[in-house]
Amino acid sequence: MTEFLFFFEVVLAGMLAGTMYSLVALGFVLIYKASSTFNFAQGAMVFFAVLAFVGLMELGLPFGVAFVATALLMVAVGYCTERLVLEPLMNQSHDTMLMATIGLGFVLEGLAQAVWGVEVRRLDLGIGDFPIPWLVDNLGLFVSALDVTAGVVAAALIGTLALLFKYTKMGLGLRAVADDPGAAASIGIPLKNIMLAVWSAAGIVALVAGMLWGARAGVQFALVDLALKALPVLIIGGFSSIPGAIVGGLIIGVTEKTLEVYIGPYFGGGIEGWAPYVLAIFFLLYRPEGLFGEKIIRRV
Amino acid sequence: MNAKADDILTVESIEVVYDNVISALHDVSLTVPRGKIVALLGGNGAGKSTTLKAVSTMLQGERGKVTRGTITYDGVVVGDQKPSDMVRLGMVQVLEGRRCFGHLTVEENIIAGAYSRKLSKADIQTELARIYAYFKRLKDRRKSQAGYTSGGEQQMVAVARAMMAKPKMLLLDEPSMGLAPQLVAEIFNIVRELNQNEGVSILLAEQNTNVALRNADYGYIIETGNVMLHGAAESLLKDDKVMELYLGISKEGRKNFRDVLREESQSHAAIHHG
Ligand SMILES: Nc1ncnc2c1ncn2[C@@H]1O[C@H](COP(=O)(O)OP(=O)(O)OP(=O)(O)O)[C@@H](O)[C@H]1O
Ligand SMILES: [Mg+2]
Repeated sequence: MTEFLFFFEVVLAGMLAGTMYSLVALGFVLIYKASSTFNFAQGAMVFFAVLAFVGLMELGLPFGVAFVATALLMVAVGYCTERLVLEPLMNQSHDTMLMATIGLGFVLEGLAQAVWGVEVRRLDLGIGDFPIPWLVDNLGLFVSALDVTAGVVAAALIGTLALLFKYTKMGLGLRAVADDPGAAASIGIPLKNIMLAVWSAAGIVALVAGMLWGARAGVQFALVDLALKALPVLIIGGFSSIPGAIVGGLIIGVTEKTLEVYIGPYFGGGIEGWAPYVLAIFFLLYRPEGLFGEKIIRRV
Repeated sequence: MNAKADDILTVESIEVVYDNVISALHDVSLTVPRGKIVALLGGNGAGKSTTLKAVSTMLQGERGKVTRGTITYDGVVVGDQKPSDMVRLGMVQVLEGRRCFGHLTVEENIIAGAYSRKLSKADIQTELARIYAYFKRLKDRRKSQAGYTSGGEQQMVAVARAMMAKPKMLLLDEPSMGLAPQLVAEIFNIVRELNQNEGVSILLAEQNTNVALRNADYGYIIETGNVMLHGAAESLLKDDKVMELYLGISKEGRKNFRDVLREESQSHAAIHHG
């Protein structure tokens, strides 16, 4: 029984970590859906957002104000990106767009460090990284309060976005643009507004992801690389699928945690670092469109 | 040619260039009288789609540009407007190849057509009912994913979606493409109904000369970016030379286009040359 409980704990921890991967992956999916471009700047956006947030907190702003201000800042970043980078490049090839996002990443990283410096900062969300007493007492489960909070927040954000896409006018517009930007333009869907909304949403997702990661690992440049964890998630889930990002994140989270715990010791640990990529390679070989990757519908 | 108030669209000697070098249209002029159906006919690469895109401003998205001439739509000179501006002014293009949103349901596709309008949930339902009255087939299929419906249904979705914007003018690009004759007939019947009941003016690009002229009031024939001749639909339809040329029906085999035109100009006063 304790054996099973322990396994359950490991899986749960994996799922909670997985929601974080899902969240980061969601940032990519949003932009991929609207512009068919892999946004290399996503990691930099995570870093930029949380660094700005911590910076504002250090200036003495209360949590809520700092959060809203940073969210607005990310909307502004989205606006500037749309206006200064994407709009002039509209109708250019996807490669050009890709290069542009790489450039944007460097700009954001540099800007963040120029304004707020390079040292690692602590972010205290007021939630301890220790087991929740109630779960320990009643269920005998040792799960960190920070993990649970992160998982719940990530899940709530993802759920909200999914509902917005399904049921709002803007969401319908985004899905239309994702399917056929030309046809969307022909019926008067303003691509610019859609892009703006998507970049803003991706910016806010980046902020939340950065806060949740930063609270555990410290706010530091390494967050940029952490976003790369989203790559295997995207390969598994499919680049343009929101459910795919969610499930892919969970799969990665659970796989790496169980492998780490059960076979990690034979490899001397550190499996978490590479196991997701191995899993991703399997998917590339056997199911390249990913679990939920939207099948290209061709029918004449 | 001067823009008249009862013409909803006037295109005057436009030249269109893609990528700053490739010249697609040399000299195209045409007029769509308000409430009429005008057919724009020509073979592959003649410049039909380019003409429609010049009018709807969709050219911008393909690095194309109107380098000469003027386009006047409903009293407005068409210049650097965006397609969304044109939609708001009541002009919607149905692109060649149907172009449904494949992952959206049929009904979501149609609702997307109302994006430029500010409608309440109730208004949208009223508008849907109005559209489904023309496209009865789509009502049964409304929950289906558009990508999995038949080619004919997809073409109907594309037209229905455009009608949802409540256009004054529709630009239809080859609605008959790849469809079986009875489906083509069904679609053209709907197009005529829309024209009559909703009063929407239509500029129709087609390779299917026969069907197009039987449903249109007036026709223009273009070839390599120039208007070669134009005339009332019936007179073009009755014209053996036009039929011979565009339907390939000829006793002596296919003739060179210019030869036919030369004979044409000598024998038919009712048809004007571009
Ligand atoms: N995006 C583009 N870039 C460059 N050249 C183009 C582009 N689109 C069309 N052209 C060229 O412009 C000319 C007119 O093409 P257009 O598509 O308007 O013809 P069409 O009459 O619609 O033909 P079809 O019946 O095959 O659709 C052709 O020579 C074509 O190659
Ligand atoms: Mg064409």
